[in-house]
Amino acid sequence: MNSADFRIGVAPFANAPDIALKVIAGQFVGAFHIAADILSPMENPGYAFDSRRGQYNAALILKELETVRGTPRFADYEKVIAVLDVDLFVPIFSYVLGEARLGGTFALVSLYRLENDLQRAAKIALHEYGHLCNLAHCPDGSCLMHFSKGIAELDGLPLDYCRYCSLALQKECSCKRSSREVAPVPLRS
Amino acid sequence: MEKADVMIVDDEMIVRESLYHWFKKAGHYVETAASGVEALEKLDARSFDILFVDMKMPGMDGIEALKRIRETYPDTAVVIITAYGSIDSAVEAMKCGASDYLMKPFKPEQVSIVMEKVMYQKQLVCECSYLKGRIEKTTRFDNIIGESAPMLEVYRMIADVAESGASVLILGETGTGKELVAKAIHAKSPRNRLPFIAINCGALPDALLESELFGYRKGAFTGAVHPQKGYLEVVSGGTLFLDEIGEISSKMQVDLLRVLEDKKITPLGDRRPVDVDFRLIAATRRDLGAAVKDGRFREDFYYRINVITILIPPLRKRKEDIELLVRHFIEKYSHETNKKVNGVSRSALKHLESHNWPGNVRELENAVERAVVLARSLTLTADDFAFLVPNPAVSPKTRSLKEMESDYIEQILIECDWNVTKAAEILNINRVTLHRMINRYNLRQPSRS
Ligand SMILES: [Zn+2]
Ligand SMILES: [Zn+2]
Repeated sequence: MNSADFRIGVAPFANAPDIALKVIAGQFVGAFHIAADILSPMENPGYAFDSRRGQYNAALILKELETVRGTPRFADYEKVIAVLDVDLFVPIFSYVLGEARLGGTFALVSLYRLENDLQRAAKIALHEYGHLCNLAHCPDGSCLMHFSKGIAELDGLPLDYCRYCSLALQKECSCKRSSREVAPVPLRS
Repeated sequence: MEKADVMIVDDEMIVRESLYHWFKKAGHYVETAASGVEALEKLDARSFDILFVDMKMPGMDGIEALKRIRETYPDTAVVIITAYGSIDSAVEAMKCGASDYLMKPFKPEQVSIVMEKVMYQKQLVCECSYLKGRIEKTTRFDNIIGESAPMLEVYRMIADVAESGASVLILGETGTGKELVAKAIHAKSPRNRLPFIAINCGALPDALLESELFGYRKGAFTGAVHPQKGYLEVVSGGTLFLDEIGEISSKMQVDLLRVLEDKKITPLGDRRPVDVDFRLIAATRRDLGAAVKDGRFREDFYYRINVITILIPPLRKRKEDIELLVRHFIEKYSHETNKKVNGVSRSALKHLESHNWPGNVRELENAVERAVVLARSLTLTADDFAFLVPNPAVSPKTRSLKEMESDYIEQILIECDWNVTKAAEILNINRVTLHRMINRYNLRQPSRS
């Protein structure tokens, strides 16, 4: 999947550390040969802060990001991984480590509960990326798309998809590519 | 985890939305309802495996909805979502038939755990009825019977291999009891609380065997209206017994070889693999080694299934077991047919021992069953087995005068219920002479049980 068209943006919020962004982008480029760029930082999403819980509402952040999807900042990117240093929740859940919608454009990765373990950050980024590419949780316990019940299980997962999920990912990317070939670039301005 | 049909019932849009996306990512089918009334309407239109219902809703509250759902749709599991700290309402919900409860806010993994638990329980319930319908006949446990040297060797092998998870190939002619041996291995193995599933590969056409083993999803082919789990999945940790393995196509050999290596299957019409776990016991009456040599059976598959071989001897090579088997079957069928038969005569046994038994133990069992059904006395006599066609391979032996004498005396003794005085009267000899003859011909009164 070595398409010049298919690019991933790694977009930090406020204080997300550089090293985490490099590791995440490095995974996409190194392991999956998908071009990934690190974008300049965005402002702290104060609008999503829930003062009662002391956490940020991931659903609100995703909603906000979808509204700026077409802006020049993101227009070049097929998928965007947003990285935060704050604690995230989704209403009704006490916390989430990452959040993305099936087939969406933006995914969130929270470094807050990862205890500076960059391997964990990379795993969450790739897992959420899978969701962006329409992958659901995988029954294979040795696949990155397997739902992990907590950090310990996440640590047990390899930094790789099983061959079925890899195949599905490849298919997703090549579909995107061919649809772009049909409707070439000039439409965008 | 099993893919499920889920409905989220909550008046708060934001809660419905978060749960909706979460279940979607888990690969489930999801619908939402904003009230108990809407939930009941949706249940009316299609079935759901599990409902997540919020306790506090305007109008019909969670408990009321729960009660109505349990009443009308008992197969649908309900998980109640309660506010943080409201233990009392959680308890009440459980009393009203909720499968479980979740207290807000919960960790994503808690939903996953509750989901797994509920689906597992549901699966147990439906698999019990499913297995009952499909393999009832094959789960009846019978003992393997015999005290002969070759059978003692079989017992030793069963005990040796049961503990290990190794694949076993059972060789034996038709009717030798290969399935009983497979069941005995299963019963003595650590998997004995899990299912034992037997499939006769020779009885199913290839396409049917494939869908039976691998299962299919809804719409995988015309006629696949309901998804069906394959035996490879249903066996879930137990033992799969494939009888007549020599009959399967080479495509099926390749497919099964892959399953044994990957421990995964992909049901027809699905792209998601499912982990499977089972012990394979295969059986055949064919010479697979020869079939491998002339290319009729795949060598790699043969070595995969043939880790340990157990050879069951044909009945004609262990005739010393016939008496034991006959007595066992008499007990079994006199009980089943409610006929008061409790023994077998010497002459009958001799008759049975001279038979060649091409159908082995099964043929003997059928013969005894028939004799019991037709018997007119307490003891089965040679006459009761007159229907057995003498085997052409064995030259019919002319009976000597002594043999005829022995049979005649035994016949009379049976008719007199072993009252020696009475029998002596009929035979017109004295009691002492009769006793001497009983000893000489080694005639024995059948034991009564
Ligand atoms: Zn996920
Ligand atoms: Zn996978």
